[in-house]
Amino acid sequence: MSFSAGFLEAIVWASLVWCAVSATGLGVMLVRDAKKGSIW
Amino acid sequence: MTERTIFLDPTLGWILLAAFSVLWVGLGFYWGRRNKSFEDHALAGRNIGLALGSATAAATWITSNTTMLAPQFALELGVWGMLAYSTASLGLFLFAPLAVRIRKLMPHGYTSGDFFRLRYGRVAWAIFLVFTLFYSLTWLVSMAMAGGILLEALAGIDYVWGMSVILGVCVLYTMRGGLGAVIGTDFIQTLIILIGIVIVGFAVLSQVSVGEIHAELTAHKPALLDVLFPAAIMAIFNNLLFGLGEVFHNNVWWSRAFAFRDGVGGKAFLIGGFIWLPIPVAAGFIALASGALGVAIPSSDMVAPLVIAQVLGTAGAVGIFIIVFCSLASSIDSLLAATADLVTEDIWRRLIRPGSSAEHLKGAAQWVTLGLGLLTWALCAPRIGTLATVLFFAGPLVGAMIFPIITGLYWRRANTIAAVGGMVLGAGAGLVTYFTIGWFVATTVATAVSCAWVLGACAMSKSRFEWIRLKEDA
Repeated sequence: MSFSAGFLEAIVWASLVWCAVSATGLGVMLVRDAKKGSIW
Repeated sequence: MTERTIFLDPTLGWILLAAFSVLWVGLGFYWGRRNKSFEDHALAGRNIGLALGSATAAATWITSNTTMLAPQFALELGVWGMLAYSTASLGLFLFAPLAVRIRKLMPHGYTSGDFFRLRYGRVAWAIFLVFTLFYSLTWLVSMAMAGGILLEALAGIDYVWGMSVILGVCVLYTMRGGLGAVIGTDFIQTLIILIGIVIVGFAVLSQVSVGEIHAELTAHKPALLDVLFPAAIMAIFNNLLFGLGEVFHNNVWWSRAFAFRDGVGGKAFLIGGFIWLPIPVAAGFIALASGALGVAIPSSDMVAPLVIAQVLGTAGAVGIFIIVFCSLASSIDSLLAATADLVTEDIWRRLIRPGSSAEHLKGAAQWVTLGLGLLTWALCAPRIGTLATVLFFAGPLVGAMIFPIITGLYWRRANTIAAVGGMVLGAGAGLVTYFTIGWFVATTVATAVSCAWVLGACAMSKSRFEWIRLKEDA
């Protein structure tokens, strides 16, 4: 039994999109912390 | 010896190396100005916010082993190899509640060594120090070696020179800036790594589709797609437990639990885990594409730079150079800082100079950082072993520490006999397995033996620990 092409496609694309969303989220969080004066 | 193609002009490689070195060292010196005491230097004043906290949790866990070993896993163990590596994110997820508990039980704590000393006494503390210092050095060595290998593979920069520069830069800004500089640079490095992985991933997919990769694997390497690939399935459990052991015991993570502002630790580790989770797949699949792209792989630990540089030319070589440089720096600096603080607090302050002032301790931590850097350099220079071999040798040791830590934080019955027996028996059984069967089951065996001993000894114990004993003042 082998992993299907559809499964491989799904995990590859999902991981790349997830990384992009994470980078955006971190930027947003930093701006929010900066506005509250609570970066560190 | 195999003749290797150089993808990046050595001059460009040196320029990139110099540019990032100046950036990190400059930031380290700038942020280091605020540090007046050991607490400022070692724990960034215990006031790190959520954005920096989340980024540093992820960045520290994104090592060169994530960006270089995940593709190697994919090349050797297939789809399961990438997924197995992703399970290491569970270490961050499960450390989230522990971070809350640690901060609550030890509001004045500095290191994970403080916990072992106060919770289990000096024998367990000594064993812990031996295990964790061995592991930390192993991790440092594997990353510094990866740095040297990368520069040599991409730009033809001599292994020893490349390794020396990367290590030297991290030592400089960690010495000067302490944990604050480490966490600040971690944020920038996380963003660079995530954006770089996305760009490289989409660029590879513009050259070859996932369908083509799957078809080529089916034709030539069907084992890499096998759902029941035995070695890979064992690697899942091994990696999961290795990840748990690494995060649960090491001062890299405990120092962050102490450094994050009240209420931040749990959320930061949870978010850090979510940031880290997809990276082994995003970075690993490019190795699976090597066959479809016709890239020859002379050495599996260099599959990522070889594929990217060949597919994307100079831009790709620059991209992977920056990604791995940031991955290396984000982990080497964290390990240097946390291990130096461990040696300073647990050995210098507790055993050698108990009356040291806060300022003196800060100076001691800086000298220890330099000494660690020099020791790491001396171990890396001969270039012994492959990345995986070097790293996984420490697996049984960290696996054996999982249950002494969990029970010690949550169960009043946990005691010295349970902790010492769990660490010694677990590590011993794991190391025997490592040499007789292989690395892919060694951590699992170590954890299982340690678990059985710890739970049995705790269940039979009549002692009840008083949590107040962990609230030792600095």
